[in-house]
Amino acid sequence: MNAQSQSQSQSQRRKNFKIEAFKHKVELDPKYAERTWKVLEHAIHEIYNNNASRLSFEELYRSAYNMVLHKYGDKLYSGLVATMTAHLNKIAKSVESAQGGLFLEKLNHKWADHNKALQMIRDILMYMDRSYVPTSHKTPVHELGLNLWRDHIIHSPNIQARLQDTLLDLVQRERTGDVINRGLMRNITKMLMDLGSSVYQDDFEKPFLDVSASFYSGESQQFIECCDCGSYLKKAERRLNEEIERVSHYLDAKTEVKITSAVEREMIANHMQRLVHMDNSGLVNMLIDDKYDDLSRMYSLFKRVPDGLSTIRDVMTSYLRERGRVLVTDTERLKDPVEFVQCLLNEKDKHDKIISTAFNNDKTFQNALNSSFEYFINLNNRSPESISLYLDDKLRKGLKGASEEEVEVVLDKVMMLFRYLQEKDVFEKYYKQHLAKRLLSGKTVSDDAERSMIVKLKTECGYQFTSKLEGMFTDMKTSEDTMLDFYAKQSAELGDGPTLAVQILTTGSWPTQPTAACNLPPEILTVCEKFRTYYLGTHSGRRLTWQTNMGTADIKATFGKGHKHELNVSTYQMCVLMLFNSADGLTYREIEQATEIPALDLKRCLQSLACVKGKNVLRKEPMSKDISEEDVFYFNDKFTSKFVKVKIGTVVAQKESEPEKQEMRQRVEEDRKPQIEAAIVRIMKSRRVLDHNSIVAEVTKQLQSRFLPNPVVIKKRIESLIEREFLERDKADRKLYRYLA
Amino acid sequence: MRRSSNRKSSSASAAAGSGSTKAASKEFEKIDHLFNVYADKSSAIIDPEGIEQLCSSLEVDYTDVRILMLAWKMKAQKQGFFTLEEWRTGLKALRADSMSKLKKALPELVKEVSRPTDFLDFYSYAFRYCLTEDKQKCIDIESACQLLSLVLGTQFGPQVEKFTEYLKSQSEYKVMNMDQWMGFYRFCNEIPFPSLENYDSDLAWPLILDNFVEWFRENQN
Repeated sequence: MNAQSQSQSQSQRRKNFKIEAFKHKVELDPKYAERTWKVLEHAIHEIYNNNASRLSFEELYRSAYNMVLHKYGDKLYSGLVATMTAHLNKIAKSVESAQGGLFLEKLNHKWADHNKALQMIRDILMYMDRSYVPTSHKTPVHELGLNLWRDHIIHSPNIQARLQDTLLDLVQRERTGDVINRGLMRNITKMLMDLGSSVYQDDFEKPFLDVSASFYSGESQQFIECCDCGSYLKKAERRLNEEIERVSHYLDAKTEVKITSAVEREMIANHMQRLVHMDNSGLVNMLIDDKYDDLSRMYSLFKRVPDGLSTIRDVMTSYLRERGRVLVTDTERLKDPVEFVQCLLNEKDKHDKIISTAFNNDKTFQNALNSSFEYFINLNNRSPESISLYLDDKLRKGLKGASEEEVEVVLDKVMMLFRYLQEKDVFEKYYKQHLAKRLLSGKTVSDDAERSMIVKLKTECGYQFTSKLEGMFTDMKTSEDTMLDFYAKQSAELGDGPTLAVQILTTGSWPTQPTAACNLPPEILTVCEKFRTYYLGTHSGRRLTWQTNMGTADIKATFGKGHKHELNVSTYQMCVLMLFNSADGLTYREIEQATEIPALDLKRCLQSLACVKGKNVLRKEPMSKDISEEDVFYFNDKFTSKFVKVKIGTVVAQKESEPEKQEMRQRVEEDRKPQIEAAIVRIMKSRRVLDHNSIVAEVTKQLQSRFLPNPVVIKKRIESLIEREFLERDKADRKLYRYLA
Repeated sequence: MRRSSNRKSSSASAAAGSGSTKAASKEFEKIDHLFNVYADKSSAIIDPEGIEQLCSSLEVDYTDVRILMLAWKMKAQKQGFFTLEEWRTGLKALRADSMSKLKKALPELVKEVSRPTDFLDFYSYAFRYCLTEDKQKCIDIESACQLLSLVLGTQFGPQVEKFTEYLKSQSEYKVMNMDQWMGFYRFCNEIPFPSLENYDSDLAWPLILDNFVEWFRENQN
């Protein structure tokens, strides 16, 4: 192409075959410029008229090139603008005249044509694009073409509003169920995007969002009046998915987040409170009825809006707290502690399942559940005792026949409840008591289960918590060995006496019981003394005290008509019954004198022997329900039972009576004082000087694995330590305490 | 040089010594004489009987707070007794060597005690003075109430009245210790009464005051 224009220069330099840059201008005759332009103008017309096939690309390119080269770039450019504008105006009129549905189609069609044309025009004018356009700071051809289209078509007064209305109308129709031409829509929106994102936004997206917002505002208002919560959420979810799908099909991807937040705001955020609190179908109802699908939907929808999840969480928390509060203050239910704890476990299971199934195992919800449980479990100060009683029931009989895994599952669940307790030291005391009774009566379902529980407690609370419990197990084993040895060594001497089974309890490991000695029957006393001698012979320096309030005995009794039964009784009961070997009838006072059993225990003992149907081996006169000190007791010759072995005395763990409870409480408080003081001293020793609030906070933190200390008690302990000169008030600032070394 | 100067100084001090004893005995002569008027002849100490006589000479009541102030000035150790040393300390500080001078010194003494720094010392002294037994650390509530009225009655009348009312009505505390005693004085100084507006039980106030404030607020309604 260069060949012709360079012919002049070349002919001058034929001698030196060098290719050099031009040294002199080649002037183009203005008339030639005009002619060249006309060629190009004609070409543009032809292109717009779809007649491009007859054009010579090479010739046109050359023409344009020449014009630019000869400094006619301005003319070329302005000519281009004028020509394109003229064509676009014609196109505008054509589009405007289209009727109804054909409007968009026409527009789309013309747009496609325009792009094809523009492509060709740009190719032809490429040289201008590259050299003239940058230097004269004009818009490149392609962009120019788009801008002109925008200005003369899209923003043409008769088209702009109509276009927007048409598009929005189609969207509305689709929302109300019609099928629309999605492909066409896509092309149009793509066109707007190509024209510039501000065109897309101003001419379509903003009005689209506004209209959508008011559409959904209206629809949500309508739904919420007539739908229950679950149905409403389904509808909202459906709409949300629709919009997402709409965007993927015919809108720009960036619109997605804007439209979804509009839907979220209108359908969810604005109605959150009303939905959650809806009567009969709101969050609380869903929780109660385990509506996993509905809950799951609510979770994923509310997650999208600010404060959505915290709204659910807060309502759930206050519901749980209230429900829990009702549970733990229900006096009827509390009468059966095992039932009560089972109830708590069931509640926990239920809500765990909800959180894992419907709430995506969300940690914040798990925390809310935990804090609610912690709150209400501690509202009732019998919770530690109840949990221990539940375990007692399970370890005595509840877990009978259960596999190892089943046992672990139950124990782990109970440990969860244990962790919520603030007064873990109270639990420890009860657990010790109940364990002692289980061990001594031999009524434990599985040794492994017991030990597993101890391990769990140790892991949770440390060695100090469980060392005494472990000591109890050791004692049981040692006692077994001791008995074997005793009988091996002493069998000759013992002869026909009663068989003794002794459990030797190390004081300190076992819960202290006040020992009230009673008078044992002579034959028992003999063998007991033999054991004592034997034991102290092998263990010097120790002291043995018989715990007559904790033992049991098996007695063979013969009743009228020769009926024989084997009675399993407590030691006290045995002492009473043995008296009837030498008398048929005895008064209360005679029994009291002979046995020296303390009054309260004696009354209980006699009641169990004389007043319980099916176990009345003694007869009482008068036949009243209660034992009075004037009563007379007779051996009940007429006693019958279908069982050969009759169990009368059991040392079962019972819920404590009020005075026992008070005593336990007092012991707990007394035990806490030194623990608090030790914590205070530890803290002050390391910190030297500290203000009151910090001490209270630190002490609470240090003791939290055992109990929640009362700030008033802490203050009292501090003052006691001041009096005993472990601490003093700082002389300069009397709000501070100082450690005295 | 040193030696000679030493000798000189030692001799000088010897001279001063003898001179001072003379001066001292002269100085305390009148004071000692006054002491002997009230002291018990055998024990050479002023005992409770002697103090009673002293009070009538001074024309103040036996239970008057000024006697306590006098004891304070003397730094008297044991309640109801003044030793010669203590007598000398007190009267010398008061620049009194006769009954009339002592009488005149009393109003000055009262003024002195009411100065804040001196009062604090006097206030804590008053408590310690009541600890009659050897290892005693507390005084019984009844006595504490009396002492409070005596010592703080004029300065913080309303607080003392209410606090003693509370102390007498409760049964949890049977004695008061030094910490609580000092705490109450701080309370009177720092907390406006009867509004008690900036009292915060979370700060290091003794528990007995927390309980007092609670009682007071409850009874106001």
